[in-house]
Amino acid sequence: MSASPETAGTIYDIGYRGYTGPRLGRRGAIAALVGAGLRAVFGLGRSGRSKIIPWGAVILATMPAVVAVAIRVLAGDLIDLYGYENYLWSIGALLPIFVAAQAPELVVNDIRHRVLPLYFSRPMSRLDYVVAKLAALSLGLLALTLLPVLVLFVGRVLAAEDVLAAIGDEMGALPGIVGSGVMHAVVLASIGLAVSSLAARRAYAAGAVLAIFLIGGVFGQVLSEAGRFAELAPFFDPLAVLDGAREWLFGGSVAESPVRAAGLPLAVYGLATLIMTPASWTVLALRYRGIST
Amino acid sequence: MSLISTRALTKRYPGVTALDGLSVEIGEGVIGLVGANGAGKSTLLKILLGLLPASDGEATVLGLDAATEGARIRELVGYMPEHDCLPPDVSATEFVSHMARVSGLPSGAARERTADVLRHVGLYEERYRPIGGYSTGMKQRVKLAQALVHDPRVLFLDEPTNGLDPAGRDEMLALIIRIGRDFGITAIVASHLLGEIERIADWLVAIDAGRLLRTAALTSFTERTGQLLVETDEDADPLARRLSARGMQAHADGRTVVVDVSTATDGEYAVYDAVRDETVALGLGLVRIEHRRHQLEDLFRAGGVDERVA
Repeated sequence: MSASPETAGTIYDIGYRGYTGPRLGRRGAIAALVGAGLRAVFGLGRSGRSKIIPWGAVILATMPAVVAVAIRVLAGDLIDLYGYENYLWSIGALLPIFVAAQAPELVVNDIRHRVLPLYFSRPMSRLDYVVAKLAALSLGLLALTLLPVLVLFVGRVLAAEDVLAAIGDEMGALPGIVGSGVMHAVVLASIGLAVSSLAARRAYAAGAVLAIFLIGGVFGQVLSEAGRFAELAPFFDPLAVLDGAREWLFGGSVAESPVRAAGLPLAVYGLATLIMTPASWTVLALRYRGIST
Repeated sequence: MSLISTRALTKRYPGVTALDGLSVEIGEGVIGLVGANGAGKSTLLKILLGLLPASDGEATVLGLDAATEGARIRELVGYMPEHDCLPPDVSATEFVSHMARVSGLPSGAARERTADVLRHVGLYEERYRPIGGYSTGMKQRVKLAQALVHDPRVLFLDEPTNGLDPAGRDEMLALIIRIGRDFGITAIVASHLLGEIERIADWLVAIDAGRLLRTAALTSFTERTGQLLVETDEDADPLARRLSARGMQAHADGRTVVVDVSTATDGEYAVYDAVRDETVALGLGLVRIEHRRHQLEDLFRAGGVDERVA
């Protein structure tokens, strides 16, 4: 080292350094927002308390698949607890709970604490912001709507005596698994964010989301069992509508779903999903257009 | 070469005209954008950021059209809004580095620049604590840091000293001067406080009711007037008479004497010597001697100096 005596041991303020590296522009901005959103959805980088609901929901949602696979390994084909078609219906309440807890995390504070003008002063548009948040929550939801069913799928293949033959047998279910998982994730994320974006506080948003799904679900169930307006029952519960749309697209009916009791043509549920989702997007677009910079 | 240019820029809201045919060229340095509340300062900044469409006219920032190339502009510009805009439950480090990434910086660079910038704005140990517990002064520093973190070419600061106590105000103004002079980043500072702009700005843009009132280099306003201001602790009339007797242009105004240096025959230093000698001879206490400068307030009176409306 040839440090001259007067520089040795001195800490210098090196002054301001500019930035000459790459600027990722609008795509970088959106990617950063999606990444930060995903971290928020799973409570990463936050307190242990904010991890309880998302991770608890993921574990609870995956548990039946793990159990079903274990039973299959031990008892073979004798008992078939969960099929691909009824899996999402059977983990039912976990989905709204996850959405109610995590959708407000993504949007409420940005509005409440007026952070949005800072985002809008970045290389992104209002629409980009909304799309990024939708993408983050949808991707997060896949941990509930796709991951457990894939666990079931892989488990069933690996538990089979002849794995190659099992792949052939099960492969036909894969488009339905992925399609249904993605559809559930996107639609639930859209509804959850639209409702949350209208709430002033996270707790109100969570309450509103839960009310829509759970009260709607219970009401639908009651109607369905009362029998008089059974054909209307599914439309009070977004999860029932989604189940109908799933059955319409990929087949396989769920015994407990009000869809079966209603006995309507399944395309009606496809149509209802097609109305429900863009309606949520419209709410979001209008909500964010109305926020002044 | 101007960084920002507007031509006949107009913004009409239902019932209100926020900007009324504003044409102005803005160059480098610390630029004071002054005007009363509601003069159109914030509206102008938002149009320049491409966040608000103009009703008429055009605006360019760094040669980019604000109406069509807003996203490109916002990549190169930093914005510090007037209002609170910080989430309370995250730390300054987390928030600023997140905003760096949202500005398009890769994650490694975002972390590095966050550490740099927070040090420059004077946030040290507290940067790891949630912002909710910060003082107003610290929050203003975080707001400045998030505007600076992506190394913008131009900074828009909307009332940056809002809500600060006098000491906090001084620190914020010193920081803005540093950003303009040492960091080489042009700072457009919107303020309704003329006194603050006077302390920091190189160039001044004054708007009133959405129109350009005047634009000029501030040095031309505050340059020396060729007069020496001598303030004493007693009635200054005898001093003025003695200086006049020495052949100088001097007149008293209460406890101060204004001496015309530019017309003094023996030069500037003879005037200083004479002031010193006569003050001692009269046994007066000398409070201050300074070159008298034009005041920025002159700008808002009729007949200001060096009018350069674009």
